[in-house]
Amino acid sequence: METQMLGLLVGGLFGAALFLGGLADPDKIIGTLRLKDFHAMRTIAVFVIVGMLGFWFLQLAGVANMDLKSANLVAVLVGGALLGIGFGLTGYCPGTGLACAAAGRLDALVTVIGMFFGALAFILLYPLVIEPLDQMMQYGKVTLPEYTSTARGVWVVPIVVGCTLLLYVTRGKKKEV
Amino acid sequence: MQEKVVKKSPLPWWAAGLLLGIVQILAIGLKKPIGVSTQFVVVEGIALHKAAPDYSQNHGVLKNEKYQKLGYGWWLDVGLVAGAFLAALLAGRWRIRKTTIWWQASRGASVRGRMIAGFIGGFLILLGARMAHGCTSGQFASGWAQLSLSVVPFTITLFGFGMLTAFVVYRKIPEIEK
Repeated sequence: METQMLGLLVGGLFGAALFLGGLADPDKIIGTLRLKDFHAMRTIAVFVIVGMLGFWFLQLAGVANMDLKSANLVAVLVGGALLGIGFGLTGYCPGTGLACAAAGRLDALVTVIGMFFGALAFILLYPLVIEPLDQMMQYGKVTLPEYTSTARGVWVVPIVVGCTLLLYVTRGKKKEV
Repeated sequence: MQEKVVKKSPLPWWAAGLLLGIVQILAIGLKKPIGVSTQFVVVEGIALHKAAPDYSQNHGVLKNEKYQKLGYGWWLDVGLVAGAFLAALLAGRWRIRKTTIWWQASRGASVRGRMIAGFIGGFLILLGARMAHGCTSGQFASGWAQLSLSVVPFTITLFGFGMLTAFVVYRKIPEIEK
């Protein structure tokens, strides 16, 4: 029961944040991928900085729950590419697709239905195609600092600087489209 | 009336990013980093365990306990839908829409075209997300939060192919509210 309430709470806040923040808006996503509307890119840059610093802080406080994904290079590269093609075609990803369908977008609902077929294809293709790909070039569940034996700050500082630079470069609010 | 101008989001970029980041921090402190796409497979896994138990018990993914019952992740997705619905309603932005402004600008008024593209896109999105062990939430956003090694190759192909596809599909640029 506690699990259920916790999931609903975190999910509810996340869904509201995706919508109010404009990530659950395919026009904002396509605008960013086309480099014509930087709202979504800037939002993501801040999201990355806050999430990364927040995680570090929680880890120092000893209360961070980690959930690392295996760095299986071939599967991650191919999967990222397929997801990217769907992302660039629709302006949706799994979370924002669900959120947009909930906000009344029927095309997003069709995308969500497509996702269920994609999930079925994943299940059916897994034994023959995906599992072999997944077992190629496995680097394990590691963090960048662990993998390179460096301090966390060596990664955090350049990423914060890079995101800030991105925010600076994309600041031209009044620029004509 | 059809919309022709891409409207501003309810929140400015800095507040949007801050809010999303705070929700992520809350999730990491209370349970684990946010992820969305696994549940699509979990729902079908539960159905397959009933319909084809032998197949499912020997399946590399479905045999895991996580794919046999609904748990935290499922409720997170349910909450996500409810949260987005309420937010859209309260912001006065809940509306039935069949296409998008960028799609109309580049591909014309055809709703059917948008729906076909939407279906194919959705198929690729989930297939790709599960192959990569996570989507834009669980792999990208949570990956950067934790500085996971896997986030680097994922980010390169996600945004590389995302931008490439968007540049091919969306040639004409609509008016964007500044």
